[in-house]
Amino acid sequence: MDTGHYISGTGHLVFIGWLLFGSAFDADPPPFEMTEVSVISGADFDALVAAQQSPDTSTDVAQPASPDVPAEVPDVAATPDTAIEQPTPIQTETPPEDIAPEVPELSLPPEAQVDDTPPELDQPIGDVAVLVPDIAPEAVARPVERVAPEPVAQPDPDAAPDTVEQEAVAPDATGETIEEPQEAQSPEEATTEIVTEATAAPRASSRPPGRRPAAPQPQVADTPVETPTETAATSTTDADAVAAALAEALSGAETPAATAPSGPPLSVGEKESLRVAVSACWNVDVGGRSADTVVTVRVNLDRTGKIVGNVQQIASEGGTPAAVASAFQAARRAILICQKQGYQLPADKYEQWKVIEMTFDPKKMRVK
Amino acid sequence: MNIRFLSICLALLCAVALPYQAQAQDPLKITIDEGIIEPLPFAVPTFQPESAEAGQMASDLARVVAEDLIGTGLFREIPASAFISTVSDFNASVQYADWKAINAQALVTGAVNVQGNSVNVKFRVYDVFSGAEMGNGLQFSGTVDGWRRMAHKVADEVYSRITGEGGYFDSRVVYVSETGPKDDRKKRLAVMDYDGANVQFLTDSGSIVLAPRFSPSGDRVLYTSYESGFPRIYVLDIGSVSRRVLESADGTMSFAPRFSPSGQTVVFSLTTGGNTDIYTMDIASGASVRLTNTPAIETAPSFSPDGNRIVFESDRSGTQQLYVMSATGGEAKRISFGEGRYGTPVWSPRGDLVAFTKQNKGRFHIGVMRLDGSEERLLTASFLDEGPTWSPNGRVIMFTRETQGAGGSSTLYSVDISGRNLRPVRTPDGGSDPSWSPLQK
Repeated sequence: MDTGHYISGTGHLVFIGWLLFGSAFDADPPPFEMTEVSVISGADFDALVAAQQSPDTSTDVAQPASPDVPAEVPDVAATPDTAIEQPTPIQTETPPEDIAPEVPELSLPPEAQVDDTPPELDQPIGDVAVLVPDIAPEAVARPVERVAPEPVAQPDPDAAPDTVEQEAVAPDATGETIEEPQEAQSPEEATTEIVTEATAAPRASSRPPGRRPAAPQPQVADTPVETPTETAATSTTDADAVAAALAEALSGAETPAATAPSGPPLSVGEKESLRVAVSACWNVDVGGRSADTVVTVRVNLDRTGKIVGNVQQIASEGGTPAAVASAFQAARRAILICQKQGYQLPADKYEQWKVIEMTFDPKKMRVK
Repeated sequence: MNIRFLSICLALLCAVALPYQAQAQDPLKITIDEGIIEPLPFAVPTFQPESAEAGQMASDLARVVAEDLIGTGLFREIPASAFISTVSDFNASVQYADWKAINAQALVTGAVNVQGNSVNVKFRVYDVFSGAEMGNGLQFSGTVDGWRRMAHKVADEVYSRITGEGGYFDSRVVYVSETGPKDDRKKRLAVMDYDGANVQFLTDSGSIVLAPRFSPSGDRVLYTSYESGFPRIYVLDIGSVSRRVLESADGTMSFAPRFSPSGQTVVFSLTTGGNTDIYTMDIASGASVRLTNTPAIETAPSFSPDGNRIVFESDRSGTQQLYVMSATGGEAKRISFGEGRYGTPVWSPRGDLVAFTKQNKGRFHIGVMRLDGSEERLLTASFLDEGPTWSPNGRVIMFTRETQGAGGSSTLYSVDISGRNLRPVRTPDGGSDPSWSPLQK
């Protein structure tokens, strides 16, 4: 009886599905041509028929004369076929038999002699009085270091960081390029994390284990626990199977083929290159409230990789309205400053990156 | 088995149906989670004088605005020698390309008009790379004597528009001015602008004074004085420089006072019979309430911004640690668990952090932690750092640093809560026990 219900239910579901999506299976109708038709009179038709009659044959065409063929066939001397010499096979040398390597017998290392007596340590040097001048030296502000994802070593003392950004100059095709002597320049020094004066000290103290309530001990029942029936287990398994099948079917909707724009997708390296390019200009105020704010912006790019129109804020998460505004300004500055001559993106994949949504998430920066 | 068959049928139906749902094309999405931390380059061309008397003041105003911003460690000024174009008219349009070329990301322009004793300053802030003004132009009016405050107000507004948080430049600091050697040090209460300018002394050096604390309205100061031979708490009105003592019983010592956010109540420590506990007192009536009652030493109380809780230090666990309790007393919860000793906690104006002094392995640190004791960060390390106080916006901490030896001196320092931008505060003499005022009205 249940089987009948299931067959009926499945049949109805298939029928409903066919009604909803049946059009998907219909083959496209064959193409057909359309021709314009015009109405003509009987006289015109006769004229047309008369004009299309084939012309009469006026003369017979003479057949060409057959060529003269000599009666005798010349004798041709045939040479017998010679046998082709086959190369003699090369006899390879018989490889030597494998010789089993000698394996030395493993021996246990000698037992270590452990001396229970602690080693004698040098006595620490006692405090030494240091004469301090009466006049304390002038306090000097600690230099503020630049923090960036990539560390940059201290520049050569002869080289100075370039404070003024200079755009690349294209060489002139017609004239000679005279290279002016340039002062040595180097990228600005940077570290990967904030180094405070207290770096030598422990950054954070570990907390002692909290006073959690003791975990409940399993209670052993006096009476034996009944074994779950097979029906219950089967029901659970079937429910899991339904859920798994649905999840599998639904996951197909997230495949790139179903949602991605047309054209070849950007490779991981190309995306990473864009991310690094924008990161290099994203200046994060790690101590500000905007450091708790995530903003998402949308930009349109032209085929040269330059921003077209305004940078639009499309979403934010956390922070006060003022913090959101500040976070958006920082994101916008990063995108606009680092575009320079346009982001370096593959031209053949323009359809993929003509619109980009960038999410600026400073959470990882806060801990630096 | 039947359910399994049904599930397969459902899955087939979904597989047929779902591709038809996904018709919109998603744009490329990337997440930026790494950036740089460096001062933002900005330009402040000299403000335009709009009257014959305004020339020098226009230059001075622009200089103070620039120094305020540079002092935060968040901004870097581009020198005027690098400018390609100048701003000759406050209302003229900005040549963004010229400022982009020198990588000025923010531009501040201004104009000053001086008529007699009256000063009018107006300014605009531009986001150079987006080619737009940040907010609208704004102007302040005041007197010639108050020109520095006007410059601080301009800087506060610029800072706020760029960072999204309130400024702290138009604020004052009360502290203990110290002169002379350690064994004969003269201490006086003094008040100054946040940057060390306009120092005024509030008391003479006849007696030891300690731990001044600003009221929430900025018009009064609480402090402890040994004038009577025992420590007593005084309330001083800054405007009239008049003071009165908060009464306490004979034979007791009262110290470490701090205002409640309402300004009507004082929380302080009182030692009686060799035991120190925390009390509150209504300033108007003098009625006091005991909040703690343990044999331990409990002191350095500080209210939360909403006035509902108090953080304080206590050695009830055997070592000096930080605790939080209700503003009406009751059971306290320990929040510090690290090595060493913790003291002088101060609740952040934002309400999310507590600043403290930590002593560990012979070094002193200024640090911050969250209210549950997590995310502890030590910002400084020296022979002796102590007594943190928060800037009005909760972004900067000022504290005392004392150098070692008989000739050692005390100096005020400030540090950003990220641990960057550690710098001394300029004072005419030595200084200790700073307390930051709220923003001036």
